[in-house]
Amino acid sequence: MIPDLEYIRAIDLNDTLKILDVKNGKVKVLAGGTDIITGLQQGFSRFAKIYKLLDIAQLNELKSISINEDSFEIGAGLTFSEIIANNNIATAYPLLVKAASTIGSVQIRNRATIGGNIINNAPCADSLSPLLVYDASVRIQSNKGAKEVLLKDFLSEAYRTNLEQNEIVTHIILPKILKTYIGDFYKLGRRRGVAISRLSLTVLIKCEKQIIEDLRIAGGAVTPVAMRFTNIEEMGIGKKVSNKLLISLSQEIGRKVLKVTGLRWSSAYKLPVVQQSLYQLLVNVCKKLNGTNVA
Amino acid sequence: MSKKFSIVGKEVIRQDGYAKVTGSAKFADDIIFTDMLFGVMVRTHVVHALIKNIDFSAIENNPALTTIITAEDIPGAKKVGPIKKDQPVFCYDKVVTSGDVLAMLVGKDESELRKLVDNVKIEYNELPVVTDPENALNDNTPLIHPENKTNLINHYPLLKGDVKKGFAESDYVIERRYTTSYQEHAYIEPETVIAYPFEGNNGIKVIGSIQNPYTARRVVSEVMGIPLADVRIEQAELGGSFGGKDDTMNILAARAAVAALKTGQPIKIKFGREESIIESYKRHPYRLNYKVGFNSDGKIKAMKIDILADGGAYASMSPFATWRTVVQATGPYEIENVETNVNAVYTNNPYTGAMRGFGSPQPIFAQESLMDEIAAELNISPLKVRTINGFKAGSITASGQKLDEHEVSFNKVLEKAGAESCFNVKWNKYRKENNKIDGNFIIKEKQKSNNFILNENQFIDPENTWRRGIGLSVSFRGCSLGAEGIDAVTAYLSLQPDGSIHLSCGLAENGQGLRTTFSIIVSEVLGIPIEDVHYLNLDTGHNSDSGPTVASRSTLMGGGAVQNASSILKERLKKVFYKYWNINKDCNLIFNSGLITYGNGNKKITFKELCSLAYNDDSNMSTLGLYAGPKVDWDEESGQGNAYFTYVYGCQVAEVSVNISTGEVYVNKVIAVHDAGTVINLLGSEGQVYGGVTQGAGFCLWEELNSEEGKIKELNFDQYLIPTCKDIDEIKPFFVEGNEKYGPWGAKSLGEPTLELTSAAIANAIFNATGVRYRNLPINLEEIILLRKLRPDNLKRGSA
Repeated sequence: MIPDLEYIRAIDLNDTLKILDVKNGKVKVLAGGTDIITGLQQGFSRFAKIYKLLDIAQLNELKSISINEDSFEIGAGLTFSEIIANNNIATAYPLLVKAASTIGSVQIRNRATIGGNIINNAPCADSLSPLLVYDASVRIQSNKGAKEVLLKDFLSEAYRTNLEQNEIVTHIILPKILKTYIGDFYKLGRRRGVAISRLSLTVLIKCEKQIIEDLRIAGGAVTPVAMRFTNIEEMGIGKKVSNKLLISLSQEIGRKVLKVTGLRWSSAYKLPVVQQSLYQLLVNVCKKLNGTNVA
Repeated sequence: MSKKFSIVGKEVIRQDGYAKVTGSAKFADDIIFTDMLFGVMVRTHVVHALIKNIDFSAIENNPALTTIITAEDIPGAKKVGPIKKDQPVFCYDKVVTSGDVLAMLVGKDESELRKLVDNVKIEYNELPVVTDPENALNDNTPLIHPENKTNLINHYPLLKGDVKKGFAESDYVIERRYTTSYQEHAYIEPETVIAYPFEGNNGIKVIGSIQNPYTARRVVSEVMGIPLADVRIEQAELGGSFGGKDDTMNILAARAAVAALKTGQPIKIKFGREESIIESYKRHPYRLNYKVGFNSDGKIKAMKIDILADGGAYASMSPFATWRTVVQATGPYEIENVETNVNAVYTNNPYTGAMRGFGSPQPIFAQESLMDEIAAELNISPLKVRTINGFKAGSITASGQKLDEHEVSFNKVLEKAGAESCFNVKWNKYRKENNKIDGNFIIKEKQKSNNFILNENQFIDPENTWRRGIGLSVSFRGCSLGAEGIDAVTAYLSLQPDGSIHLSCGLAENGQGLRTTFSIIVSEVLGIPIEDVHYLNLDTGHNSDSGPTVASRSTLMGGGAVQNASSILKERLKKVFYKYWNINKDCNLIFNSGLITYGNGNKKITFKELCSLAYNDDSNMSTLGLYAGPKVDWDEESGQGNAYFTYVYGCQVAEVSVNISTGEVYVNKVIAVHDAGTVINLLGSEGQVYGGVTQGAGFCLWEELNSEEGKIKELNFDQYLIPTCKDIDEIKPFFVEGNEKYGPWGAKSLGEPTLELTSAAIANAIFNATGVRYRNLPINLEEIILLRKLRPDNLKRGSA
């Protein structure tokens, strides 16, 4: 049952920041509400001491998209449906759009925002692994000013970020990616529609003459917080693409996940499957590289 | 087909479709009375306990509260149930399962009442919780209902021939164990009911999302201690039932009725999804042990079957659902020697009862998997092993019934499904392609020092990870209630002076499309446009008790009654026609396109004019039609008898893709061939197949409830996963219409056969794809990869 709450509809960004700065007690910023409303309904403890909801869904300032010389700025208030429909984003960051299109249902995607997905920081959040692979930053604003923080540093622990009570995330900044990068996103759910990720993986590779020049790997729902697997990336960079290499990289993700999570009830399934999934993702991506023979 | 129809068998859009799609249909929760109060449940916090004390003092004076209803307010029966009266309307001495209700808070504001629930102090003497049905009958297991002196709900034996001798004479004997999980009905509309007293508190009216209004009437009458005629139940538009809006709704109707008579005001009870899943009953989980003896030519000699059904805390429909199991457990095969034992037992788990299929999907999953296991053992095709053993005209069933009263269409459905799916070609092709797989993808879990790092040779190339497979299953199913109970239905038909028509029936529209089907029958008999038939809501005050709307009996039994009523009025109209045209003898009149014609067409009259004439002639233009099933018989000691008066046959073929790296199963295609007799509404029949196959696939691959010490964990559809349109591709229905003497023009049953076959067909297809036999439902991601259910038992829990 949803408890009695005060609901405030923000007029604009300034108003939002003022309310966040002045009011004491816990004000929770509400964007699409697809996590908060269902969480309140189910009585989740992380929403227990909320007395006020501040609705920012209608703020156009949070829905802007600007294309700069070396980066894209995407409004945190954009819904996943809006992101999927945007051709500029689809061309520049196809893996983000692919991930976005697997989230929930059409109805969820019409409400849920990319900023909300980041702030909620669920282990299974589907937009995080592509954002991490694209080296995304978040722009954080408060009454005292704005700052930019790398997404990987912003996500602290499951369902928590380093956002302060008086701050909101206004934009996501994505550095431009060279066309020579290719990659893929994979999501495994218990079913194909309206599915919560059992695991998700994003891979981005830059290869020159079969030598890996850059490799980026991130995962969701396999660790408590979505993360880049930098040690695996380093293992691959500078090496020649071979089946043996891809296998050893994939085995390494099993070791890494085990190290991060410890042995869990789900390990018997998840650890083998994350290795297989990464291997197949890598093989498929490498097959797309010109003249690369995986076997 | 030699049958010539004007509308029967065509695609007819359901009458209530437009209102439901556009949102104008009135469901129970859309009905509001000005002085209406709400009832909110006070539920148990524990699963099994004696109730020491219920203390309402903390809320008694709260202004939100009009009154509190407990068992003490019940004037009549405190316990109800369809067969055994073991389920309390409000618990008073004991709680036995997590959905139990001790009291109901009544007041104007539902959300205010919900805040009060936690302030009711309940003291319990907790008792050990019985969750494993295998332990239910042990000597030291606590009794769920001590007055019964046993946790056994029912035991059905069946004996035919001599299984010992049969096994001794067999070339092969194999034993297999299968298990199935709970299935939740997942109707889109949760339970809702409204009760209000008639003027002067003389009786009670109930409107609700009720599957079986006459059963609800009986329960309310028992609980209130008033005559049946003082209770009127009206069915609101109903958002899905699948067998699930029976016991739960009857009890809610009784709770609302008690409160309505106490307060003198209308009472509404509505459940949210969580409450619905906690309190409503489910499909029985089964444990099935099959031992089968067969010869090297594929002929089955003997079968011994032991089945245990978890009935949960209340008997509900267990005795009837498991009776269907004992009749059909050997499948559509003629077997000389059979010994079957089916037990249903009490546990503290959520109670189980009726759900689409009703005791058949579980044994069909087991026994049709077993048929493929026999085929694999002998290295013969799944089609062949079935053809060798399948029922033919005159075959004797396990219960000793000779199948000579209907067309035994086993071979017809099997051949059609085999041909439409190119079964043998595909099955052999996939088997060859998948030969090398043979389960080598299964992760073998070592003890202790397990780091789950794959060996180099375990990695699977993406091109090889999706494996295709094809599988089939066949069933026979007894139509209607069989020896369960009285089987007769009435329908009311009334012609208006302007030619428009009122129709209603004692069976209920539960979403299956009965209103449209029955209107088609009237339209066909009287030769009038279907738009002229106006279907009336079911109200127990306007119809006679026709038994429950279950067992896929609507078209067969209700359709028969409608056809009978239509024929009676047709005869009366003929007399008016003769009088009008001065015809002195019976003759052949043609009723077609709203026109009644005699001879070469010079003597004719429109249907509307004829109705007007009949009205002015003081004719009786209304009638009740009746259809009663022929007698059936059953001997409980031996499990022998003519269980059902007729049967239907079906065969489904599933094609799947299995990802052997992740365990994902995708259903590419299901071909569903059913002999449901004559199809009345083609569109409705296809709809039954689409829905049934999808629900059957859910039962096979996804749907599962886990209970932790008797408490359900999956309380909403984020956790309890039913298939979406993205999980199943093409479903292709085929109807082979056999000859049948019962029902309207030989129409029989379809609703349940569509579901019961799917799980075995998919499991057999998965075997064809992987070489692995999965015997425990649901066959989810982890089951495919680990051959076991992955549950948070001992190790540290986490979301990842």
